[in-house]
Amino acid sequence: MTPGVQLLAVGAAAPSWRLPAADVGAAWGRAGGRGQAAVCAPDEDALTLAAEAAHRALAVSGLQTDIVDGLWWGTTRPPFAEGPSHAVLARAVGLSHRSGGALCSGSPHAGIEALLGAADAVGAGSARVALVVVSDAIVPGLGTPFEARAGAGAAALLLVSHGGAAAFGPRVTRTRPYLDRYRGDRETATRDLYDSRLFREEIFLPAMRELGEQLGALEIDRWSLPDPDGRLGATLARQLGAGTPASAPVYAELGDTGAAASILGAVGTLDAAGTVGLVCFGGGRATGVTITAREPVPGAARIPAALAGGRTVTYADVLRARGQLVASGETVQMGVPPESAQFVRGADEMLSLLGARCVDCGTINTPPSIHPHCISCGSAKFVLEPLARHGRVHTFVVNHTMPAPFVAPLPLAVIDLDDGARVMLQVTEHETPLEIGVEVELVLRRYAHERGAPVYGYKARPLSTEDIR
Amino acid sequence: MSWNRVAVVGAGMIKFGELFDQSYEQMAAGAFAAAVESVDLGFEPRAVEAAFVATQRGTLWGQEGIGGNTVPSAMGLAGIPCTRIENACPSGSDAFRIGAMAVASGVHDVVLVVGVEKMRDKSSEEGLLSRAASGHPIFNRGETAPVLFAPFATRHMYEFGTTREMLASVAVKNHANGALDPYAHFQSAITVEDVLASPPVCHPLHLLDCCPQTDGAAAVLLTRADLAERFTDRPVFVAGFGVATDHPYLHEKSSFVGLKATQLAAERAYAMAGLGPSDIDCAEVHDCFTITEILDIEDLGFVDKGKGGVASLDGETGLGGRIPINTSGGLLAKGHPIGATGVAQLTECWWQLRGAAGDRQVELRHGNVLQHNVGGRGSGVSVINILTTNQP
Repeated sequence: MTPGVQLLAVGAAAPSWRLPAADVGAAWGRAGGRGQAAVCAPDEDALTLAAEAAHRALAVSGLQTDIVDGLWWGTTRPPFAEGPSHAVLARAVGLSHRSGGALCSGSPHAGIEALLGAADAVGAGSARVALVVVSDAIVPGLGTPFEARAGAGAAALLLVSHGGAAAFGPRVTRTRPYLDRYRGDRETATRDLYDSRLFREEIFLPAMRELGEQLGALEIDRWSLPDPDGRLGATLARQLGAGTPASAPVYAELGDTGAAASILGAVGTLDAAGTVGLVCFGGGRATGVTITAREPVPGAARIPAALAGGRTVTYADVLRARGQLVASGETVQMGVPPESAQFVRGADEMLSLLGARCVDCGTINTPPSIHPHCISCGSAKFVLEPLARHGRVHTFVVNHTMPAPFVAPLPLAVIDLDDGARVMLQVTEHETPLEIGVEVELVLRRYAHERGAPVYGYKARPLSTEDIR
Repeated sequence: MSWNRVAVVGAGMIKFGELFDQSYEQMAAGAFAAAVESVDLGFEPRAVEAAFVATQRGTLWGQEGIGGNTVPSAMGLAGIPCTRIENACPSGSDAFRIGAMAVASGVHDVVLVVGVEKMRDKSSEEGLLSRAASGHPIFNRGETAPVLFAPFATRHMYEFGTTREMLASVAVKNHANGALDPYAHFQSAITVEDVLASPPVCHPLHLLDCCPQTDGAAAVLLTRADLAERFTDRPVFVAGFGVATDHPYLHEKSSFVGLKATQLAAERAYAMAGLGPSDIDCAEVHDCFTITEILDIEDLGFVDKGKGGVASLDGETGLGGRIPINTSGGLLAKGHPIGATGVAQLTECWWQLRGAAGDRQVELRHGNVLQHNVGGRGSGVSVINILTTNQP
């Protein structure tokens, strides 16, 4: 048992694109291919998915973000190979400058490492409130069997020392060094298994059987299991007598979401009382843990809706979004170099979306660093505050003529936020024609990839009529 | 106000277009030669005491930060005082205003104002379009030039029922005028259907709602009004000017149906000249996009706010209309070599006031003509100059 570690709320996020597996097969001259995978649009990645899942978990928890003591993030492949991935996400989620935590990465096992690391911090008393985010958007090797299944998604869990609806039970780990799915130095894409039979018979199934037997001594109502090749998950479920594992619908909807996969399946079961056996695998390591819900965990019932939907796109769209299909010819620099001073001055206002409210006239000036005096009254007295994340389109354009690497058509909208602030931002996931008065929410997106580093900021996403209801 | 009155005694320009065969220096020298040639009683180039040169982008390989020294050297006037003026799209009209102030102050008696701009030495992607990446790293990212004005079109259509046909009527009228202007980049008429069917550039603006990318140069010669008779017996005078600024980002605008910079600059220019909109015979206004001209004629007081589209469709701004606008073809047909634009507009005003505009000549009832530019980030800079034949 992990003493005194409870689950307060959960959230999930999926990217906006879906790629039919058959399209990938057809491109490589292979017949068939079932199902689909969730894929990031060009402005999404493991960090934007993590931020969205975290935002949802925090929203249902009702907690103020500044009381979260730390962020534990598990992702196979953080967006900065080396760099401030954790700090950028923490700031985007709105955590305080004093928050701690850890970034776990290097294999799909990173997800459960982050989850148990956070549980240990709460159990030990070094954190009272821990935010765990697991996310992945793995770029698969071209032409590999893994390619059609490589998905993307994120889950977030808020851990507390008391007062949650679910608690963590015992855990088991088995380690066996073996080169399964991996990405080498100077490689951009993840390679598939070298020998799937060897992996199945000697590594995966034996480790899983051991874990299953240990955890199976408890009363497990549902299992959530890894499925590294699209078949092993079902085999494992059969051997454990697990029926259809809770992870199966996640794999069906999103494909293989790596560090997030089994955890997404597990949190989805927490909308009712019961015990879920959660097992994760990656990088030669297997770890299982149980979670027992006494009552529905806030946010759990919303997981299926968070993962559903998405727009079906072509294989070529996905290759371009992943940077695997690149136009020859000149491109322009997309922005200010991310290492420049502007991103130091602007980190809080851009990632935490702060405005400066004029003490004298109430006008909200955005962004604060370029407004030493109020645009309405000229006052220099301000209070910094987070901007509203919801508003309506005041006017807009759709830019059809953009130099590469900008992608046209690109809508831009002037938005009146609910708090009275006015901003002008790019519009993302825009399918129906924009109109004046349309409701939008502001979401974190990747604006550019410059000098090898991602640049993040907010975009406006029109709310569908379903969202509004 | 106590200032020396200023006269315009010469003005000229080169034919605008994609001038791949001319250097920046050759264009400047060509415009200066045309201005010298235009002086009725002759002009000795060495009479120029100081020059102000407007170049906005410096879209030249390796000379993006071009200074004031290149142009005098190119014109055989190396050594004279010369300052480059960069103030966004109104750079040319602001160089004129500053040149006029240099004369008005008594510091210089004969001043040359040159506007010159190379827009086509770089490809569209490397040149004008590259500004998609300019500005704040997040807010407004992707702001190419049409993005500065298209949001106003969207909102003007929403609030006043302005239609794409009304926008198109501006382009049709200016291209018809351009067909009469031997200096225009484009010299052929177009139809409303042509505009509507042209490809979208930045919704709701289509290709023919937008001005082209044009190379060009123009020059004017200024002197003290009391010295003008040395050069001409038909001088044109500076009646007044106005300049204003507004916030640089679009999200700082309180209104998307008018440009505050133009409204403020107009108030100041009219007050300085002691004139109002009804005293103006014709005007050269900033029509980088069709919607811009509609905003301009409202903000300058030629029509009521919201009526610019209807007035354009009804022909009020055509050559025979109540207030002819952009008789030269405007930026839409004549072209918009940014630093040269304002100086070329003033050249058209000078021709109109001297009855030298040929088939484009308007009836001069008051002898006052207005020139206007607006631009820059957030369309936050506007300059207006008013010229007159009336003795100060």
